Amino acid sequence: MPKKILVIDDDPNIADYLTTIFENNGYEVCSANDVNTGYEVAKAEKPDLVTLDLEMPTEWGPRFYRKLSQDDELKNIPVIVISALSGNQYAIQKAAATITKPFDRDELMKIVKDVLME
Amino acid sequence: MTRSLLIIDKEKSYADALAAFIERRLFEVHIAATQDEIMVVMDHIAPEYIVSATNLPDFDVIGLLMGFKASMPMLRIVILTDPADRNDVMERMRGDAFGYLTKPVNSTELELVLDHARDWVHLQKKLNKYTNKLGDLHHANSLYQQLFDEVPCYISVQNRQFRITASNRMFNIHFGDGVGECCYEIYKHRNGPCTVCPVAETFEDGKQHSTEEIVVSKDGEQFHVLTWTAPIRDENGVITQVMEMSTNITLLRQLQNHLEFMGMMLGSMSHGVKGMLTALDGSIYQLETGLNRNDEKRTVNAFNTLKQVAERIKKMVLDILYYAKSRELDYQVSDIQEFALSICSTIEPAAEKRGVEFVSQIRESGPFDVDPNWFQSAIVNILENAVDACASDAQKSEHRVDFEVLADGESLIFKIQDNGIGMNTDYRNKIFRLFFSSKGSKGTGLGLFIANHVITQHGGNIHVESEPEQGTAFTVRIPRFRSSEKKDSEHYLRPWSKTDRRQ
Repeated sequence: MPKKILVIDDDPNIADYLTTIFENNGYEVCSANDVNTGYEVAKAEKPDLVTLDLEMPTEWGPRFYRKLSQDDELKNIPVIVISALSGNQYAIQKAAATITKPFDRDELMKIVKDVLME
Repeated sequence: MTRSLLIIDKEKSYADALAAFIERRLFEVHIAATQDEIMVVMDHIAPEYIVSATNLPDFDVIGLLMGFKASMPMLRIVILTDPADRNDVMERMRGDAFGYLTKPVNSTELELVLDHARDWVHLQKKLNKYTNKLGDLHHANSLYQQLFDEVPCYISVQNRQFRITASNRMFNIHFGDGVGECCYEIYKHRNGPCTVCPVAETFEDGKQHSTEEIVVSKDGEQFHVLTWTAPIRDENGVITQVMEMSTNITLLRQLQNHLEFMGMMLGSMSHGVKGMLTALDGSIYQLETGLNRNDEKRTVNAFNTLKQVAERIKKMVLDILYYAKSRELDYQVSDIQEFALSICSTIEPAAEKRGVEFVSQIRESGPFDVDPNWFQSAIVNILENAVDACASDAQKSEHRVDFEVLADGESLIFKIQDNGIGMNTDYRNKIFRLFFSSKGSKGTGLGLFIANHVITQHGGNIHVESEPEQGTAFTVRIPRFRSSEKKDSEHYLRPWSKTDRRQ
């Protein structure tokens, strides 16, 4: 049974990009373009990992993280921040990892595998 | 100090007696009785005084004396005449003689005349000296006045009440003749003194002070000036006035702002650029995946995305370059109809492609004066935003952008109205800010900022009305022609031009 990754990014091109990378590496992927949809999808799909953009038009990534961590069912899901903001490692300090855009695919996959303990 | 005196008389004994008397008055006395003798003394001694009889035989002594007086204005001649001749002589010599005495000479009278003559010389010399000094002074004064006027700074001299007592020409050109008015009225259009004032500080401590100020010229132009003050003291060393010199550094500041802005822009830009580069990576990867899997649909999708991303990157780079290049407006008189139609032909296809109806009404024709490239890009930018606002709106089935051009007195009005998503007040207040974008990763936050900047530079303004879910209306108002004041005041950009000097 493949592990499931939820991709949250407001830029559909980047969301598709991440989706394709993860699919090509044998994961099951679901995605959302904003924080609220992301939370709904997380509740419905119970992913094993979330990748989260920080700056999005309606609500920013940290808000999603707070919602997630207040939900007993979801609070143990690891979150990897993928953002272009400089200083992004301070935005969500408990994130499993922080990656800066544009990113290196091999490095991304290595981190994902580490976080999923594969 | 001895003074030389020549006695002319045909009677030697009389002349000797006179000489003996006059020598006691500390004169160096020479005697002559004939024309030859006179000429010898005049040539060798050049006496300052002559005491002369009138009745010399063989030659016209009066004529000779008048000739001397004409060539030596400082020569004082005292005439001794017989009472009978006196009137004739006086009639002839008039003021050429310093005094007329009748023979026989009263010694006291002669003494007084000579004293008087001596004082007169003294006074004359003083007068000459002062006249020369005055001439020099006048010369120096006009030299300093010229320096004062020609200095390429605004100079004013102020008293303790900050009243201007003198100002130079550069000052008068840009701020009007301010003598008698207060510094703060002229420079700042204030009713009272400024809280921090270098002139007041100089009155206080007698030292030079400097500040940087923003002042407003008589044409309403804002200048950045660097101001220095220096005390002016009276002969007792008391500060009576203060001189204030201001250098116009407007151009320098403009350049500095521009550079600072560029730095800030590039810094903040990096976020958007990084996002776009990621999207570029992504679409290339998608294309690669499609090709590897031989999945045509995926390949075509990826290719379209790649095109889109490339377009976004291109637009952003152009926005940056657009602002980075020189911001001087290049005014050209253009035709309104032609200008508006060219805008329509840019927007129409883009609107159509996204299912938005584009309606234009160009109600005005004839010439207007703008920088066509800059101004067109500003209007196109607003129109593109209107189309975007429609395309992002999922609630209404039909969308439409209205573009209207009309005249209002000396102004031209460009109205852009859409029935797209609209904005709340918070958004509306931010739209002209740098890097504010409601379009998430699709916007650079530069477009409306630049549009607003360009329109303001044209002396115009943008009015925005918007209602969430209803739509937005932009009203751009610009002067149809540049005002003549604007043209006149442009010369401040040239530091010290020939035109200034002629005024």
